[in-house]
Amino acid sequence: MRSEGILRFYLPFALFAVILVVFPLVASINLVNIGVYALIYALAAIGLSLLMGLAGQVSLGQAAFFAVGAYTHAILVTKYAVPGVLAALAAVLAAMLVALLVGLPLLRLRGHFLALATLGLGIIVTVVARELEITGGTSGIFGVPKPVINGRTYDTPSEFFWLLSPVILIALLLARNLVRSRTGRALGAVNDSEVAAECLGVNTFALRLRVFVLAAGYAGLAGVFYAYWLAVVSPEAAGFELSVSLLLMVILGGLGTVWGAITGSVIVQGLDEGMRALIPKIIPGATGEVQLLGFGIVLVLLIILLPGGLAQLWGMAKSHLHDRLAARRSAAEMAEPDQSAGVDDKVGPEPGAPAAAGSKPSLDGVLDHALIPERGSTVLRIRGLTKRYGGVVAVDDVDLDAQAGEILALIGPNGAGKTTCFNMITGVLVPTAGTIEIRGTRVEGRRPHIIAQLGATRTFQNLQTFASTTVLGNVAVARHLRSRAGLVRGMLSLARREERDIEHGARAAVAAMGLQDDADRPVKDLSFGRQRQVEVARALAMSPMLLLLDEPMAGLSGPERDELSALLRQTREAGITVVLVEHDVDAVMALADRVAVLDDGQLIAVGPPEEVRQDEAVIAAYLGTDDDAEDVLRQAAEEVRG
Amino acid sequence: MSDLLQLLFSGLAQGSIYGLVAIGFVAVFSVREIVNLAQGEYSALAGLSAISAVAAGVPLLLAILLVVPLVIGVSVIIERVCIEPVRRMTPLVSIILTLGVSTALKAAMLLIWGPQARGLPPFPGRDLVVAGISVRSQELWIIGIAVLVAVVVIWAYEHTLLGKAMRACAEQPVAARLVGISPRMATMIAFGIAGLVGAVAGVIGSPIYFSSWDYGLGLGLKGFVAATLGGLISLRVALFGGVVLGILENLVAGYIDSGYRDAVAFLVLLLVLLIRPQGLMLKASGARV
Repeated sequence: MRSEGILRFYLPFALFAVILVVFPLVASINLVNIGVYALIYALAAIGLSLLMGLAGQVSLGQAAFFAVGAYTHAILVTKYAVPGVLAALAAVLAAMLVALLVGLPLLRLRGHFLALATLGLGIIVTVVARELEITGGTSGIFGVPKPVINGRTYDTPSEFFWLLSPVILIALLLARNLVRSRTGRALGAVNDSEVAAECLGVNTFALRLRVFVLAAGYAGLAGVFYAYWLAVVSPEAAGFELSVSLLLMVILGGLGTVWGAITGSVIVQGLDEGMRALIPKIIPGATGEVQLLGFGIVLVLLIILLPGGLAQLWGMAKSHLHDRLAARRSAAEMAEPDQSAGVDDKVGPEPGAPAAAGSKPSLDGVLDHALIPERGSTVLRIRGLTKRYGGVVAVDDVDLDAQAGEILALIGPNGAGKTTCFNMITGVLVPTAGTIEIRGTRVEGRRPHIIAQLGATRTFQNLQTFASTTVLGNVAVARHLRSRAGLVRGMLSLARREERDIEHGARAAVAAMGLQDDADRPVKDLSFGRQRQVEVARALAMSPMLLLLDEPMAGLSGPERDELSALLRQTREAGITVVLVEHDVDAVMALADRVAVLDDGQLIAVGPPEEVRQDEAVIAAYLGTDDDAEDVLRQAAEEVRG
Repeated sequence: MSDLLQLLFSGLAQGSIYGLVAIGFVAVFSVREIVNLAQGEYSALAGLSAISAVAAGVPLLLAILLVVPLVIGVSVIIERVCIEPVRRMTPLVSIILTLGVSTALKAAMLLIWGPQARGLPPFPGRDLVVAGISVRSQELWIIGIAVLVAVVVIWAYEHTLLGKAMRACAEQPVAARLVGISPRMATMIAFGIAGLVGAVAGVIGSPIYFSSWDYGLGLGLKGFVAATLGGLISLRVALFGGVVLGILENLVAGYIDSGYRDAVAFLVLLLVLLIRPQGLMLKASGARV
């Protein structure tokens, strides 16, 4: 975030710009020619890198959008004499439109379908291009004129390279901004834990669709330059080989890193030329797309040995260097203690930094009081809630209400259906029957992000932290609904003030949970209990009116439990409804205003703690269960034998 | 009328091949949740290897009996070398990985056999004309062998302990282990079956559909689409889906334009996903908490 300095952000761009200017001056024509192709394909690869790295979707048909762009441009320029810039714009839009139409049905599905469907799209584009008259059949379209700007024709490799350079730089900058934006942060969270991101209000489908369309736009633009440079567009432009090599560029460079896409495309383009020259020498008579052998092998090796690509290598080298520098510096400090002490003083806590641990946590700056309903009004209303799996009834006809400003505990033996209830309330599971109302709005069967928009969020029994980011990064995702910047504003980096607000709110939530010392640490380095606290901080940062906590005390030490209890009481004071599932019955009885007991899917008691404690059905339920693990396993095995 | 019957019959033969390939996809996916993009390559590899063996003087039947275990072996080796070492197998990783394998296999075949497509000699028998339809004896062989192999595989899955344990592996690994099948073993067997059906499809189809280094891409996609019809978990529907797809392709080629034949599979895929998006793969959407 802010700590990433402006210099550190722009320095690589300046360096890259210098390389782009100098390269054609020093390299041979042949190399510049390869460079032109590398830049063209890099455009498409940047888009694919965003799609795979941010949206977590694989496209095996990036070449299809490339071809749509190339064809549209070539047809408009050669057959309708449309001016080049206008044709290019139309070409990019055409590629994006195709992506929108394909993405609408497909992106709702997980994983494999999009990959295979885009593979099919590549084939279909090839078929259509070969069959239609307007695309020139198998021979394609000839004679796309070279670009002319201000009477100057860009027709040598060097000139075309220079023409491409600013386009690449801008494309990179926009992509880089997007990765750091609100959209990028939300999509990164989706990649780590889709369910957690959705429960914080991230509309996965909409964001993925946008990135898919954007990636197609990048490919379409690459297609335009391809048509310009080659002057011919044939059905091979949509070829599977191109999709594979684009994929390799992205994986080689490192998923989601836009600099990796550039590096990858340069290396793959070099590999391509090298293999085409080398293989026929080793194996006489080899013709055709023999370079694919290298592509395939490199892909497999990368995935097995270096899944993060060159970016992973770069990161490893950097941290190694960092460690060595740190070691040297500490050695120097030992030698000259006085000097280093002065330096250290300057990096002390900033004025106005969150209060140190130990003082009373505060929810100021975290909660938006305008969103909290009147105390005592019904926030959650459940009637006849039922979930069946085949013949098994996990939750059976449960009625339950929760009022604003109360802590309601949901307890019961293992497998009683507590988490299943949570899953249905937060939209993670669709109920078999029954209704759920949040402040009068029926929500059963709605997606989690819709329920989050209504002000309900949750934590998870099995941790669902966003493992690839820091504690602060985790909590910042929860400010998604408290901010608005979309894809375009993100790409143009126009949401600086909003970003500052997000960081501010996130820091306040981190401090409220007493996590400020760990704020900038990767969340996966934290202990199990601390990660639970991160989840609670994250949920609070959404400023919910209904907070569902699934076993928040598990893995916490005694003092940490007390702190959490204090914070939850404070949350209640603020008028928020807290519903928690907890195993620690003593903690629950001390904390909750009301306790609801589930057994075998049925609600057997609801009431104040002291009443429920005396309830005979409750006592029987707790004494009567001992989940014999072996029994369960034996049953499962018998089911298999069937 | 006889046109239609003719198209239906050739579609049935073509579709049996797709059905076999689809079974290969389902076998692997139901155990390991991997869409094995190298599935189509098995068929190309089997066809080309058999052609070389026959050219070297090996009798046709013996060539086939040699090639099928060879491809099964290749498939199992691929699983051991490329799939097994990966610890965190996400859909993204599995697709890229099997794509890499598929690409390397394709290129290796290009290097060994060159770019030309060629066919095995037809299996023995005489072509017939029945009720105005010309029936090639090879097509009868295709349908007969494909159905036989498919039925045996499906029967084994549904009626043997091993088969049931394999099906349980993805959902109940502990239970599968209790009856003596580790997920590792199940994955290996699944890849073996994928190799078997792929090799058989490649060999029986080669005399009329030919084999070439890039034959596997289209075939694989069509097999996948057929498998999608069965939600990638039902072997029976996958076989049936393959037949339906083969017939549809032939109808499109016959009545519209043979150039659009290859587009049919993709349109079917889109259509299926539009009509029944939930029932295909996401049995319980998002219920992975």
